[in-house]
Amino acid sequence: MLKLNHIDKYYNAGTVNEMCLFEDFSLSIDDGQFVSVVGSNGSGKTSMLNIICGSIPVDRGTIQINGQDITQMPEYRRQRRIGRVYQNPAMGTCPNMTILENMSMADHKGKPFNLLPGTNRQRIDFYRESLKSLGLGLEDKLHVKVGVLSGGQRQAMALLMSTMTPIEFLILDEHTAALDPKTAEVIMELTDKIVKEKHLTTIMVTHNLRYAVEYGDRLLMMHQGRAVLDKSGEEKAGLRIEDLLEQFNAISIECGN
Amino acid sequence: MKKAMMTLMMAAAAATLLAGCSSSEGGNAAGTTAAASADTAAGAAEGSYTIGIGQYAAHGSLDNCREGFLEGLAEEGFVEGENLTVLYENAQADGSIASQIATNFASQKVDLLCGIATPMAQSAYGVGRRNDIPVIYTAVTDPVAAELANADGTPVGEVTGTSDKLPVEEQLEMIRAILPDAKTIGILYTTSEVNSISTIEEYKAAAPDYGFEIVETGISTTADVPLAADALLGQVDCLSNLTDNTVVASLPVILDKANALGIPVFGSEIEQVRIGCVASMGLDYIELGRQTGRMAAAILSGEKKASEMNYEIIEEASFYGNTAAAEALGITLPEELTASAAELFTEIAAE
Amino acid sequence: MTQLIGILEEGFIYAIMALGVYITYKILDFPDLSVDSTFPMGAAITASAILAGMNPVLTLFLSFAAGALAGCVTGLIHVKLKVRDLLSGIIVMTALYSINLRIAGGRANVPIFSQQTIFENGFLDARIPSALAPYTIVIILFLITLVCKVLLDLYLKTRSGYLLRAVGDNEVLVTSLAKDKGLVKIVGLAIANGFAALAGCIYCQQKGFFEISVGTGTMVIGLANVIIGIQLLKRFSFIRSTTAVIVGSIVYKACVSLAITHGMTFGLEANDLKLITAVLFLLILVISRDRRKKVKAHA
Repeated sequence: MLKLNHIDKYYNAGTVNEMCLFEDFSLSIDDGQFVSVVGSNGSGKTSMLNIICGSIPVDRGTIQINGQDITQMPEYRRQRRIGRVYQNPAMGTCPNMTILENMSMADHKGKPFNLLPGTNRQRIDFYRESLKSLGLGLEDKLHVKVGVLSGGQRQAMALLMSTMTPIEFLILDEHTAALDPKTAEVIMELTDKIVKEKHLTTIMVTHNLRYAVEYGDRLLMMHQGRAVLDKSGEEKAGLRIEDLLEQFNAISIECGN
Repeated sequence: MKKAMMTLMMAAAAATLLAGCSSSEGGNAAGTTAAASADTAAGAAEGSYTIGIGQYAAHGSLDNCREGFLEGLAEEGFVEGENLTVLYENAQADGSIASQIATNFASQKVDLLCGIATPMAQSAYGVGRRNDIPVIYTAVTDPVAAELANADGTPVGEVTGTSDKLPVEEQLEMIRAILPDAKTIGILYTTSEVNSISTIEEYKAAAPDYGFEIVETGISTTADVPLAADALLGQVDCLSNLTDNTVVASLPVILDKANALGIPVFGSEIEQVRIGCVASMGLDYIELGRQTGRMAAAILSGEKKASEMNYEIIEEASFYGNTAAAEALGITLPEELTASAAELFTEIAAE
Repeated sequence: MTQLIGILEEGFIYAIMALGVYITYKILDFPDLSVDSTFPMGAAITASAILAGMNPVLTLFLSFAAGALAGCVTGLIHVKLKVRDLLSGIIVMTALYSINLRIAGGRANVPIFSQQTIFENGFLDARIPSALAPYTIVIILFLITLVCKVLLDLYLKTRSGYLLRAVGDNEVLVTSLAKDKGLVKIVGLAIANGFAALAGCIYCQQKGFFEISVGTGTMVIGLANVIIGIQLLKRFSFIRSTTAVIVGSIVYKACVSLAITHGMTFGLEANDLKLITAVLFLLILVISRDRRKKVKAHA
């Protein structure tokens, strides 16, 4: 259970450029939920993810995971139980390290990074199997540097790496936005498969309304720091793209764009 | 671009290659002596020699040392361009370059290494002792502290030379004669210059005998000079300089500030008096160099080994005065000093 | 031959320091100026420790540890106090200048000519055959450099080493792995400055004295070594970067040596060294940048 309680977040507080992003924003996500988040630019989608992960501090309010207050916990410690995939495929992997080295690092998440060998040879077969499940032929390129892979390949790896160790939350930050439609489709299917297999609580921000409708069991539409639409269960299942688009246009007109 | 890369690689390769084989070619500076210098014994028989002079920094008194050194050698029959090839390099006050200069001289099989100023002398000895090349030094203030000589003055190996220890007592006596009422002497020095620190100790030990108190201010770079000078000038009756490289280089700034407050500045050698210090009991660096040159000649001719000669110092300090600088401050230089002056300047040189 | 030996000696000493700069500049992408003061710090500690009767071999470890400590300080200033990377290095460099003088007992120049060092001691004298004597120093230096290189290679293959490489490559991933990227940077800076101080220690023992000014420009020399080595050998992908750094260091010293001995032919002298270095440096940077552009255009 993830809870955001009465969050306030201002940018440039105390200056003429002060901008209020969230005011008394609350949200709770149940274990095992797959939440799709849509919304216009600047509506606070990514900021919400950053607040959950601890990448940016909040001005007021608390964040709780399973009842534990993590508001003051530094970002890197929260990541212990969170896996995050970014929009930019380069963010989830190390370009100058090989596929094998990247996989090994991901495998060691949560363990001490000490002076033991960086790659455990006995795990290589497991890595190969995992990569094989992507169907991208990466299992034969273990010693290739990730930097030479395509965006889609990297993003698939990032997804694999962020879900390799037991985590409680998967945060997907427009993770298909930088990919071509076909690759995006592949990654999205892969995401769904992993989420279902591992029963991960997932928050996915996307600009693709179809993905938002097709995947997940809850849908949030954000606008000006508020959730203007929050459907789950039956309601969500009955939602069509047209409905969403209509709603989307309504808020956009309200904004004057 | 490929071409450029190739050129570069070739240049680098050539560099390594040239560097590698240069020892067989001998010194390149004078092709005529290259063959001779490649073999020391043969060179001696033919009466032609190669020496390597490494100078630590470009500095008026060190330049004078080098000039005097060559004169001293010439007096003894070792004339540059005739039977003597001189390789000269300046380390520009960079310690790592100093040692590489010494290494390069050694690889050119010089017959003698000459190190001017302490770090260069040490670098030269560090290299010379491993390659059996005798080392001669000059302008080393304290050869004992630099471990180039034992406490009794005997060399620690095949290394000897001359010290430019300042005549501190004479300087204090002179200041007392010029300023009968002065109580405090300010000294500005660089914390990284080992010679300055040992000289200040000497000043402090001797000052009470002449009724003075020493106030010193340490700086670490040239940029510190103006502030440090302001602070120091507020506490003292006069300033006395050391041979501190950083301070001497900033002397015009110090003189400017001191003159504005009517505080006399005493130099440590002739060059400083020339540009506006009131007076100095100083060393004649050319003479110091000459003395060193004669010692070098004795080593080259095989008359004596470096290890058989104790290091030498200049016994007599001479008086240098600048009447223009003195007048500007309303000071008259005493007759007994001016009468025996080695040189009296009547105007302030604009460097 | 003597000159070649001289170049190798200098090259190996500076190669150890350059391995440190390789960590900061190439792996961490951190322009660390503190090496300008940790190099002489190693020398100061060595001179003082040897004079105090310490075993010269132990000074190697002592210097490394002290350098690592200084590196930690740079790292803490950068990470915890959020001071910019370059400035953190400058702060530590400035502070260490005074500390180095204190370590050396207030003296800017401490000779140890008469002391036993790792290059000159009873142990070696009794064992090295006289035929090898002229090469003793270069052999010892080669061995120390080799050990440093191998240890660094091994370290970079450990879990901790992976993390170090990752932090320079992609900080975000390190955070995603639930690791404090700041701590990883501190570890990297510690190792880098440990190497710099170790190089200073060896430098002091080989030259026979400590001198406060030897640190000036250390970082630039280190950068030059790293960039020259890696650019020159980049097409030989089987050569490890650490090896390239050592080769770069020797090439650099060869160029300096060349400029000193043969520069006169072209009207150059030791005074022009810095200029030559800068030109060489720029040339290699420009060449490497052009190549990168081309690769991009192809992609």
